Parts: sequence; structure tokens; C-alpha cells
Amino acid sequence: MTATDETHELIMAEAERIKALGEAAEREARDPVNQPTINNWLEAMGNTNPRWKAGEAPPSMAQVWTMYGQGGKPPEDDPLHGMMRVLTDAGYTAVLGTNCEQEYHRTLRVGERVRVTTALDSVVGPKTTGMGVGYFVTSRNTWYVGAEVVATMLFRVLKFVPQGAAAEEAPA
Amino acid sequence: MRTGDTIPTWEVPITPTLVVSTAIATRDFQDVHHDRDIAQAAGSKDIFVNILTSTALVERFVTDWAGSETDIAGIAIRLGAPAYPYDTLTFTGEVGAVEDGVATIAVTGAVSLGNHVTGTVKVRVGE
Repeated sequence: MTATDETHELIMAEAERIKALGEAAEREARDPVNQPTINNWLEAMGNTNPRWKAGEAPPSMAQVWTMYGQGGKPPEDDPLHGMMRVLTDAGYTAVLGTNCEQEYHRTLRVGERVRVTTALDSVVGPKTTGMGVGYFVTSRNTWYVGAEVVATMLFRVLKFVPQGAAAEEAPA
Repeated sequence: MRTGDTIPTWEVPITPTLVVSTAIATRDFQDVHHDRDIAQAAGSKDIFVNILTSTALVERFVTDWAGSETDIAGIAIRLGAPAYPYDTLTFTGEVGAVEDGVATIAVTGAVSLGNHVTGTVKVRVGE
């Protein structure tokens, strides 16, 4: 068995372990859905839709409410963070977002406080891409208000070996 | 909203201010979206538009055309070339299938390096 095979088996074993955690690392948004944050977003995006001044938040802001913020870090048990660490340790140090698929069950209202969970959906690789050899890591976030699912996101990244480096040469 | 309807082309000039202000407004403090020195050290030409903003601009492109009450059910994007300052992000879109009360709109956002985003926006249109 080559070093590459062993590395691949270790990566896939970790992927299975982390997938089995299911929806994990539940976090509450720092702030409730609020108009000042919506206003900052509207200004930056140049979005003048009057609907977002009347008690509802733009759908694609769903993710904004639970961003980590300046200096914030994912919790240790976060499935995506955990999988990224496994791949970084194996030499797949670079990352590139490739797909982001959000579904909105309804608009959020000012005053609601969302929670988010993260699950590891799949790890596929190694694949040879234009960026280099890497693994596609797909995670799924689910946003809740109380017990109600309000939005979901499938997020896929390519975790790859930067050109000129090699996975097997990476320090353990 | 009917199959074959096209959305008028929308050109967004990408400025450093747009990249930075949208990154911060989406609470994304990753340095590659506001610090050119760090972005260049990491191999990028410059700072670049973050994913939350790509999604938000796709949302705006559709709702500016379809109306303020547009009920967006989902936005799915595939990411391609980075959107750097001093480039132009040009959106085009066309309504595809309208079935089961949902219209699927194909959207492309192109920059000089190629397509920055390609994807679909699903809009609830009722029966």
C-alpha cells in the first residue's frame, strides 16, 4: 500500500466518522434579526427593495446572522472545520468555494433569533482539477427558529494541494 | 413570469469599496476580502468579492426585475472566476421552467476572466 493510499483511507475514515455526527455544532446567532444590520447590508448591496424596511429580512441574509464575526472561530466539534483540518494535515492546504445552494422556507422577521447546525454531507476525491489535486467537501447548514427549519445551505469547497506542493511531502 | 423571459443585463462595477463594504455587511471578516497585501501574498491578484455577496447580488438582480414582492425559494450558484476590483460583473438571466408554482431562472454573472457565477434562482409564483 502506498503512502497516498494510506492517506486516502485515513481521510475517508475521518469523513465517515464526522458524517456520523449528523447535525452538530449548533450555534445561536449573536444578534436577533435586526433592522440596523439589514440596513448596512442593503446599503452595501445597493438594494433598495422597500420590503426589507418593513419587518422582513432579505432571504440571502440567512447566513449573515450566524457568521462567526471578527475573530470568531468555528467550535472544535464543527463538522466542516473538522474535515478541513483533516485535509490540511494531509497536505491539502488550499481551499476554494465551488458551490453554494441556499433554500429559503420563508423570510425571517425582525426580532427572530436563528440557530444553525452544520453536518458533513460528503467527501469526494482525490480528483484532478484545474487548481490541482483535491477533495470536494460538501457540508449542509440548517437554520432554525425554534423547531422550525427556515433555511438550508449546501456548501461545497475544493480542498486541494497548491501547485508546486505534494500531499505526501507535507509534514504530518 | 414566463418561460423564455429574459432579464435585462445588469452591469456592476466592482470597486474596492464594494468588495470591502459587502464583505463587512455580510459579517465576513476573512482578510482576502479587505486586505490586498494578504490577498496577494495568498496568490490572488487582489481582494475579491465574497460568496455571500455573489449570492446577494444574484438575489438583487432577480428581484429588481421581478418586483419587490418576489418570493425567492432558493439560490444555487456555482463559483468560477474571482470578481476583482476594477472589473465589471455583468449579470444575464432567463426564465426556464415554470412548473408546480415555481419558476426556475438561469442566471450568469460574468467578469473579464470568465463566469464568476452560474446558477439558478427559484421563485414561488403560485399556481
